[in-house]
Amino acid sequence: MAAPVVPESDSIRRAVSLLNAVDSGRFPRLLSRLLQKLHLKGESSFSEEEEEKLQIAFSLEKQDLHLVLETISFILEQAVYHNLKPASLQQQLQSIHLDQDKTEAFASAWAAAGQETIEKFRQRVLTPQKLETIGWQLNLQMAESMQAKLKSPQAVLELGMSNEDSKSSANARRRGRRRAEELGGRLAGETEANLKKVFVEFNHQELFEFYNKLEAIQAQLDSLT
Amino acid sequence: MAAGTDPAQPGGGRGRAPHAHSGRAAMSSRSQGAPQPGGRRDPLFPVPGQPRRDGTAPPAAAEGGERPTRARPQHTAPPSAPRAGRCVSRAGRAAMAAAVSAAALGKAAGVAYGYGESGGGRGGSFLGPRVPAEVEAMARGVQDVGKDTFRRLLKVAVNALEGKDCKESVKLIAESTNLSEEQLAFLISGMYTLLREALRLPLSTFKQEVFKEDLKELRIPEDFIVDFSSVVFGNRRPASEGTALVQRSRLPSVQDFKWRVDVAISTSSLARALQPSILMMMKLSDGTAHRFEVPVAKFQELRYNVALILKEMNDLEKRSILKIQD
Repeated sequence: MAAPVVPESDSIRRAVSLLNAVDSGRFPRLLSRLLQKLHLKGESSFSEEEEEKLQIAFSLEKQDLHLVLETISFILEQAVYHNLKPASLQQQLQSIHLDQDKTEAFASAWAAAGQETIEKFRQRVLTPQKLETIGWQLNLQMAESMQAKLKSPQAVLELGMSNEDSKSSANARRRGRRRAEELGGRLAGETEANLKKVFVEFNHQELFEFYNKLEAIQAQLDSLT
Repeated sequence: MAAGTDPAQPGGGRGRAPHAHSGRAAMSSRSQGAPQPGGRRDPLFPVPGQPRRDGTAPPAAAEGGERPTRARPQHTAPPSAPRAGRCVSRAGRAAMAAAVSAAALGKAAGVAYGYGESGGGRGGSFLGPRVPAEVEAMARGVQDVGKDTFRRLLKVAVNALEGKDCKESVKLIAESTNLSEEQLAFLISGMYTLLREALRLPLSTFKQEVFKEDLKELRIPEDFIVDFSSVVFGNRRPASEGTALVQRSRLPSVQDFKWRVDVAISTSSLARALQPSILMMMKLSDGTAHRFEVPVAKFQELRYNVALILKEMNDLEKRSILKIQD
């Protein structure tokens, strides 16, 4: 590797020494837990009580625990950024003098869940609104106040859009319920409560035009691959 | 009560109004104000006491008291018009209709039903089973209005239907004629309602003759009827229909749709992302604009769903329910 993925700074060295002191038994579980939560922004992976339990379990002070957690997250994020293979990750960690058993734990956790995590990062969007749900309804309008004896079919499309802003505030509120969101790590699980629903109505002609535009987009996507 | 005053008897030839049973035939108590002398015998109408065709028992009292007749669309006098002297052709017709249908004497049953309906064989006029009060009032008031004033009032009503502002013209009319405000009010509102209801019905099922007959039954003068028909069936109709289309109540529809396909080469979290994504901007007819990103998987779902709706729409349009003639 040309440049070291994990730079050798003071805080890193300190963290490494702390890490080396940590009990190896619980380490892999900690790693996988952090991996799962890595792609969520603006949120810490553990609630208050859990942090306290961790402090006791690893016999670390609050500051030290935070440092350790942050360092592990940083290492993992770097692995994601460079798309490291488990072997190279292990090498990198060895070069910062992390213990053998810890580096192995890192490597195996990364091998197991690495690709998934990278995929989740790929799906992250920067725009404030993202389409989450699609629902529709096909109606046959028989009459209305200005016109009797119609028979016009029309469709109503319901687009559920998630809002980036409300996402992060929602997440901050839901520390305790994160377990439920583990389902496939889908972002949708977190944001169901914050969907903004947009209703759009189409008659036959309008729907057909919309469909043609979607086909044009699909043609573009196909030409990419 | 002489039915001779009632020129508009459907079915023709039914010169004698059946007053014997108007009391029980009236669907509401409104025409109770005009008690009918009983006893006018007409072969088609049963004497009180005979079994009715629909199996219900004849009323104990022939007059007074409401009787819910069978649900046949029939004209009744509107509540605001108690007309003592004029035995409302409404009540007369309603009575005749009910009585006819009650005839249990083996008269041509189909004919009985036919007579029970207004001219043209349809149930009730295009205004429905009960003529709205303002149309009734207008029909009465318009008899005394001159042709010129009528034409101006009609123009105001048509402009209102097309959505134009007509305060000025109404003021002008009020000043130039000697109609009171109240008269003006119900004349214009009656005309507006009449025209609006007529314009609601599609041309394919609503014929001019039927319209004219219905207007005749309201006893609107002949030349005014001609004017009304020219508005409804003439070449001004598309303009009024156009306004109706614009004013429809709809959920917002897509007015403008822009999109772009991006490929993210690198992001802050991934050095090599190479992830395609779609950005859509939808402007809706109610003015709101939505810019949102669609992940490729969701886009496929959207495309699939839209295709599915199109297919269902096609199936629906082919089905025979749409071929039902009305």
